[in-house]
Amino acid sequence: MNTSRTRAIRRPLAALTTAGLALALTMTACGRDEGSSGAAGQGDAVSDGAATGTIEVWAMGTEGDALQDFAKGFNEDNPDAKVEVTAIPWEAAHDKIANAIASGETPDVTLVGTTWMGEFAESGGIDPTPADLVDPADFYEGAWGSTEVGGTSYGVPWYVETRVLYYRTDLAKKAGWDQAPQTLDELHQFAADMQSKGGAEYGIQLPAGGTGSWQTFMPFAWSNGATLTNEDGTEYTLDSPEMTDSLEFYKTFFDDGLSPTRTLDAGELESGFADGTYGSFISGPWHTGLVEDAGVTQDQYAIAPFPGADGAPGTSFVGGGDLAVFSDSDNKESAWKFVQWLSDPETQQGFYDLVGDLPAVKSAWDTGKLADDPQLQIFGEQLDSTMAPPAVPTWDQLSAAVDSETEKATKGDTSPDDAVSAMQKQAESIGTGL
Amino acid sequence: MSTTHQQQGQRGSEVDSPDRGDKPRSAGGPSPSRHVDPTRRQQAIAAWALALPFTLLFLAFTLGPVLASLGMSVTDMRRVDIRTPFGVNFVGLDNFTKLIEDPLFRKVTLNTLLYLVLGVPLTMAIALFVAVLVNRVNRLKGFFRVGYYLPVVTSIVAVSVVWKYLYRDNGGLFNTVLSWVGVDGPGWLDSTTLALPSLVLMAAWRNFGTLFVIFLAGLQTIPKELNEAAEVDGANGWGRFRHITLPMLRPVMLFGAVITGIGYLQFFEEAFIMTHGGPLDSTRSVTFYTFDQFGFGNLGYAAAASYLLFLAIVVLTFVQFRLLGDREDKVKR
Repeated sequence: MNTSRTRAIRRPLAALTTAGLALALTMTACGRDEGSSGAAGQGDAVSDGAATGTIEVWAMGTEGDALQDFAKGFNEDNPDAKVEVTAIPWEAAHDKIANAIASGETPDVTLVGTTWMGEFAESGGIDPTPADLVDPADFYEGAWGSTEVGGTSYGVPWYVETRVLYYRTDLAKKAGWDQAPQTLDELHQFAADMQSKGGAEYGIQLPAGGTGSWQTFMPFAWSNGATLTNEDGTEYTLDSPEMTDSLEFYKTFFDDGLSPTRTLDAGELESGFADGTYGSFISGPWHTGLVEDAGVTQDQYAIAPFPGADGAPGTSFVGGGDLAVFSDSDNKESAWKFVQWLSDPETQQGFYDLVGDLPAVKSAWDTGKLADDPQLQIFGEQLDSTMAPPAVPTWDQLSAAVDSETEKATKGDTSPDDAVSAMQKQAESIGTGL
Repeated sequence: MSTTHQQQGQRGSEVDSPDRGDKPRSAGGPSPSRHVDPTRRQQAIAAWALALPFTLLFLAFTLGPVLASLGMSVTDMRRVDIRTPFGVNFVGLDNFTKLIEDPLFRKVTLNTLLYLVLGVPLTMAIALFVAVLVNRVNRLKGFFRVGYYLPVVTSIVAVSVVWKYLYRDNGGLFNTVLSWVGVDGPGWLDSTTLALPSLVLMAAWRNFGTLFVIFLAGLQTIPKELNEAAEVDGANGWGRFRHITLPMLRPVMLFGAVITGIGYLQFFEEAFIMTHGGPLDSTRSVTFYTFDQFGFGNLGYAAAASYLLFLAIVVLTFVQFRLLGDREDKVKR
């Protein structure tokens, strides 16, 4: 009885294995095309004249909600074109774009998170930016860098965000600080004083690990002269003395009890900032609204540029959104014209007024509210000194490794030296994916 | 009338089955002339026609993806290859050897085993204990059944979020209660040693309802006479549980162990919501790892990881059948 049952099971299993092997063998007949790894040239220039036809656009979050109405301005100059915006949630956006590229059923234009550019460009799903569409020098360097994959630009930066220091001015005054710390060493002293004299439970809140903690840790390393890749982005350079120093320094905030090591729940940071649990933290422009919603008044807190090493300006993280045109778009000319319109300084200013996205075009900051508001000036100042992660398809995976090794170091599981070596080892095995 | 049709249909399919192909067709059969019987032929065609929709759906949506993922697991396919799925390299078992060499994969394997060895006995013990208790209660049985089953049907996301707050270091329910008796509770989910058992405890609370209902049904099939006879012979409560209830429940326990075991081997949602796999990957499971790899776009590698998990489930189920399964053969010997 028993044997006949196992035999009955084994037969379909054997059939499955044979079929699987057969499938695998047919695949060997295909194999990778080795010639495709060279840098692609920029696309052909877009012709003059107005855009025509329907331009389908995907956009996420607030941008997706606001863009449809905002695009009416485009129609004034291009009466024959029709812009159709589909709003999609950020959480679903990556897969939706990836699936669209796989199936070839794509819209014309999409907003792309800066860290996804490498993947979509490498898959051939988005088009190189046409030559002379925009001038790269008009954009913040870090933002333009996020569109460049293997030396070719695959889109145009739309908006940017960068990380700065948020601190409670009232607590800082009590601690004897009339201005924000200017150097990294001062930042450590500042956090210690906030705690001992200012009355904060923790002088600063830094992520000890977890998804995205590299966005806070890397500014420490960048400001100290460390880099993720070499100049032309072909090799990872995580294993440097500067990186080790930075991780050792970052770790002191946790060793000295200046920052909690636990992961905060959603909303905990803002309420903790309001009640004086956390004296300071590092985050992006969206936090001005969040802390004010949590009950922190404008004269209770201030923001300051990320402190650098030895008085040099600190180098912060730059993120944001790029606009890309799909390779499978059937209205590419008009699509690029729409992208061009969105990156016009005036349009960028108008969009800032509407949704508060920081413009990626530098000249948009010269007039209007962006030029007058002191808080925004800090972000503008910081944007001159930023870095973006390498635009490679494997960045997501590598950043997870950086997060996990950082956590091991901050929690004392390994030494910073070993953690940095492990980062480099994993980076080399993951590769750039280009 | 209908029975004859059925019999004929069965015989007809026997003829078509390739297993019987080696039998001499002309000799021996109940009716040698059946090859030319048009009714049977029609019925065979009708049977295939009726089975066709299911067969097609099965091939397209079950067997196809299974074979595709098996094929994927022996290639270096990544998400950037989605436009050219056949433009990838055959790498043999490289993905599997790379997995076994990956220290993180070893860690998540160990975590998954911990989930299994902590979770299955705990869940089964709670379910059995509660089932035995409720089996003795004569009133409100329906109420208890619904009550204990309720966590199973509530949204796992909602349950996880609520438990996350119960486990909170400051102001969480558990630590508040502990502080009443003067104990300073730990940060349950922030500790590398406590986070995993904390998740198991929550999962056991959530999942024992299913087993409880099954065990309760099993308990009710045990004849009262057995217990009465044992009682007359002077067996105490524990003795009756050990020598009557447990052996009689063996088939039900096997079923329970298999489904609970599979559930714990695929542990994911609780860790995903409550700890994000941390601290220091101490709650990351194999399924979580596979999910991450799919997220990173390493489709071939992730497919290989899921096949290793599949293999582990097959082995576990086999072991459970051996340990808890039918023991008739042993008795005979």
